[in-house]
Amino acid sequence: MASQSKTILIGSDEVKQVKVGKNEPLVFIGGPCAIESRDHAFMMAEKIQTICQRIGIDWIYKSCYDKDCRSSPKSFHGLGLDHGLSILNDLKKQFKIPVVSDFSDPAWAKATGEVCDLVQVPAYLCRQTSILRAAALTSKPVHLKKGQYMSPWNMKNSVRKLESFGCHKILLTDRGSFFGYNQLVNDMTSFPIMKRTGYPVCFDATHSIQMPTSMGDVSGGQREFIPFLVRAATACGINALFMEVHNDPPNALSDPNTVLDIQYLEQILNQAKTLHELRLSFDQLYGEDNVHKYK
Amino acid sequence: MNYGYLLINYTEKIMSTNINNILVSDVMLATDSFPIVSQYHLIRETLETMNKFKLGIACIVDSNNKLLAVITDGDLRRILLASQKPLASFFVDDVLDYSSSYFKFVEPNLPLKVGIDIMGNHKIWDLPVVDNDGSLLGLLHLHPAINAVINKTMPIS
Repeated sequence: MASQSKTILIGSDEVKQVKVGKNEPLVFIGGPCAIESRDHAFMMAEKIQTICQRIGIDWIYKSCYDKDCRSSPKSFHGLGLDHGLSILNDLKKQFKIPVVSDFSDPAWAKATGEVCDLVQVPAYLCRQTSILRAAALTSKPVHLKKGQYMSPWNMKNSVRKLESFGCHKILLTDRGSFFGYNQLVNDMTSFPIMKRTGYPVCFDATHSIQMPTSMGDVSGGQREFIPFLVRAATACGINALFMEVHNDPPNALSDPNTVLDIQYLEQILNQAKTLHELRLSFDQLYGEDNVHKYK
Repeated sequence: MNYGYLLINYTEKIMSTNINNILVSDVMLATDSFPIVSQYHLIRETLETMNKFKLGIACIVDSNNKLLAVITDGDLRRILLASQKPLASFFVDDVLDYSSSYFKFVEPNLPLKVGIDIMGNHKIWDLPVVDNDGSLLGLLHLHPAINAVINKTMPIS
């Protein structure tokens, strides 16, 4: 008996509110990995907004103000808390869309929650009690990424921590699992397993094709696999799709080897949306996927 | 010869005990003497609770002490063979996912014989005792029940 499927509502009155959950349309979460500048953030938001409106898909703008998990001290670290959040705040007002950023320090959570409609817990920190407590105390829905070192069933422990701090609006995301060193794989069973917590699930396609720190002091990636994995994950029943996109990947200030070139965004989102609708129709036709007495 | 002596000895004891005078409530284990877990307990936590009391059953109650389900050693054996998921995954599942909400039970004011009959008929060792609201009051365990019949006192655990 899995927990009751929950639908979470993301966004305040001042933006287009987005529903993520069972039987809801697929939601896209995306943007450049890091906020590079105000102009760049707004330019990217406009491009993504145009594509999402054309396809008819609700979306949430994602970009981070501080990249605390860079491999090298020389890597771009971000614009910082105040500057970054002021850009996100202006952006959400102009485009009327929810925004999300992660935070890597409990001290940043309050400010992040005051601007962001969804607060993100980085995968590496997904079991840190202080981070989870801080995320829950923002009262905003929490985007909890599965650590690359975590089994999908053990994410239930992090969910229970969030719940114990009063958070009952959670989105669980798979971004790949370590397969030896410098390599990730996606276990597609992670989606039905994490869904058994009762919360909606999301697939992070662009980090799943990452090869962590495979280039010595910077991460590589095999972005050619993004469309394949998106199709597989969508068929497996995700409720939201996460992809970092950029207009000029080779010159992106963060994750240049994994971000999706925005010229491919529309075709991938179109496929994901179509597959999601097909899967929902299967749900209606055949009911739940349980073919086994014991889950 | 010893066996014959024992048989006569116990037969005398059984004959001298009027089983109809003993109620379920006289013999049942109190709620602090058998495994009780909440609907939010994990399988691992439940197994540890069952080990602590050395009993092959755990009763699962809601926040109002209503008995929701039970899980037994037999259930766990069958699940392990049928599920085949990694133990690490199994341990973190909710116990309620695997427990049975169709359980036998007995009310406290019934004669003990009724409880023993139910256990005998269904080949079970433990019978939750609930009031007419479904609240868990105790557990009828076969060993203390038989000991009461043969007029013998024995430590519960």
